[in-house]
Amino acid sequence: MLELLLQNLVNGILMGCVYALVALGLALQFGVMDIINFAHGEFVMIAMYLVYWISLYLVIPGSVTSLIVAPIFFVFGLVVYKLVIDRIVGTYPLAQIAATIGLMVLLRNLALAAWRAQPRGLKYEVLRGSISLGPVVVPISRLTAAGVSIATMLALHWFLTKTRIGLALRATSDDMQAAALLGINVRKMFAVAFGLGCAIIGIAAAFIMTFQQVNPEAGLTWGLISWIIVVMAGLGGVSGVLFSGLILGVVEALEITFWDPRASLAVMYSLFILILWVRPRGLFGRR
Amino acid sequence: MRRRLAVGRVVLVGALIVIILIAVVAAFYLRKPAPTPAPTTAAPGPTETQPPKPVIEEIVIGMVEPLSGTHAIFGIEAKQAAELVIEDINARGGIQSLGGAKLKLVVADSKDSIEGAKLAAEELISKHHPVVIIGAYISRHTAAMAEVTEREKVILVADALVDFLSERGWKYFFRACPKTSIHGKTAMDFVYETAKKKGIEIETVAIINEDSVFGRYTALGAYHEALTLGLTVVEHIEYPYDIADASPIVSKLIEANPDVVISVPYFSDGVLIATTMEEMGFKPMIVAGAGGCGYCDPDSIAAAGSAVEGFTQTYSYNPFLDTPYNKEIVQKFQERYGKLPTEAGGIIFYSLWTIKEALELAGQMFPDDPLNPDNLRQAFLALDITSGPAAETYPSGHIKFNENGDNIYAMAVVLQVQNGEPVLVYPFEYAQAEPIFPIPGYSP
Repeated sequence: MLELLLQNLVNGILMGCVYALVALGLALQFGVMDIINFAHGEFVMIAMYLVYWISLYLVIPGSVTSLIVAPIFFVFGLVVYKLVIDRIVGTYPLAQIAATIGLMVLLRNLALAAWRAQPRGLKYEVLRGSISLGPVVVPISRLTAAGVSIATMLALHWFLTKTRIGLALRATSDDMQAAALLGINVRKMFAVAFGLGCAIIGIAAAFIMTFQQVNPEAGLTWGLISWIIVVMAGLGGVSGVLFSGLILGVVEALEITFWDPRASLAVMYSLFILILWVRPRGLFGRR
Repeated sequence: MRRRLAVGRVVLVGALIVIILIAVVAAFYLRKPAPTPAPTTAAPGPTETQPPKPVIEEIVIGMVEPLSGTHAIFGIEAKQAAELVIEDINARGGIQSLGGAKLKLVVADSKDSIEGAKLAAEELISKHHPVVIIGAYISRHTAAMAEVTEREKVILVADALVDFLSERGWKYFFRACPKTSIHGKTAMDFVYETAKKKGIEIETVAIINEDSVFGRYTALGAYHEALTLGLTVVEHIEYPYDIADASPIVSKLIEANPDVVISVPYFSDGVLIATTMEEMGFKPMIVAGAGGCGYCDPDSIAAAGSAVEGFTQTYSYNPFLDTPYNKEIVQKFQERYGKLPTEAGGIIFYSLWTIKEALELAGQMFPDDPLNPDNLRQAFLALDITSGPAAETYPSGHIKFNENGDNIYAMAVVLQVQNGEPVLVYPFEYAQAEPIFPIPGYSP
């Protein structure tokens, strides 16, 4: 019993880091632009396909493709920003919901039309097998994914607190009008935030693919989890996202092990509602 | 200024939505009349009960399959198989007892939804007057469709597997393919008999299934059989098929440490579970899949690689069955579509040939009114197929319906992934190869 508990704490912590990384891009976009991007999960799904195809054609491990997919997705983010998001920032929430849900449906069905519903998994991946720490089995793919998640979060934290652009992003996030008055090009900040958010999705997708498969419906799972984490974290910076991810991962793993896998979404949402009830601004919200 | 701009955008977005809506509605209506029926000259509707010796030139067979959406991959294969078989039946002279009447296939999309399947059946019946409808792959879609076919008295030949379809007392319902509990039972029997043959004792079983009605019925079939065989079920886990991570489930299996695992995967969850088992180093004697799709699908083997080596899966159809007609149709299918027919296509092979046999028999039994639904039903019930293409493509080679519309000789086959290829291993008398048991890497 103790072993099972330990094992699933580890499972939960590792997955929690991955969940946090997936949600990080959304948190950044939501925090800076106050925009509700319902297509986030579909972005993850498209990035996962990109990882699959690049890995297949260049014959490189999926984890390495993150170096290619992240920049591509930064550009993808800029393009989506220009085409869709730029036009709806600051408008009525309804317009934002309509536009991003439209984007979600469009991307999902394009994926379905282009790639059919069959699951695709990486053919070349170096991150296989597991290491044993006493009674606990740690899958190498998830361990690496968790490590990369934490590294990415540290890098983003450094970027947001130590660089000029990062400071400008945070200023925009805190008070858009004041930032604009101080000479910050708010629109440019929006574009950077959106592109950066997408680049993080690219990194996350590459490491998810080391243990998962992608199909056109995959966006649903990742989108939902990301939303719960972002709202749970509140607008409290990188650490809030990480802790929310960890809470979710551990709760999910323990719930699946000690109760019923079918109830995992119900438990996650109950937790979510409970937290919003007790702390309406999220666990780590600053404002 | 800013305010006005914002309003302008809202108007723009609104206008866009309206334009898209108009385009969608227009596309729907423009597309709709395209296959307008003009049901050909001599085909009499099934409801006209007393025409004197009708001259039947063409008999419409309706088909409802998910041609779009998540399950399109199955629906499209079913459609491909149906087109091939209908061509084949017509090329062999159509329905001889009805003066060589030709079959005409009309396919409708269930849009991968319950309502869609129902609508598709309604539309097929009102426009094309089929005597038989085949479909709709997904059991709950089929159940919805049966409401229509029962009301309109059209024979429904189901290619969906869940048990409850034949438990509702439907009159015009037939199902040649093995239902889910037969799949679960076959998986358990295969493991038990293989172990016995190899002189290995198994005592404990873990059963995992995705939590749809399909997964549960299949798992219960295996569960029941395990208890019948005197085995202990040490763990039974049901999970949602879209789980993000399988490691908690695999940890639970490691803790339970069963001799064998019976698994009912849905689609991509099977790949996830197999790769997670490999990663976490969990190797029971065998992981035996049940339920018609999963570990031995070419797509799964491509996605999971070495992780599914040695895994088995039950299927309702056996593409490697060594009979003349099966070899012929598999070769034709491969030539035309460039792939091996799987479950979705295989069920259609024997189901359509069964319909053909029923029509032949109806022509002999009721020469005056062969297409009357009640007469056709009698013909279906009188069938006892042991030879010909239907038998040669069916796992047990024998099709005979009971009052519920189920095949009393229903049977599933078991394939195993051996060196990255799906190979037929059970029933032993048809097997292409010896089952590998325990699978490589097993350590007691």
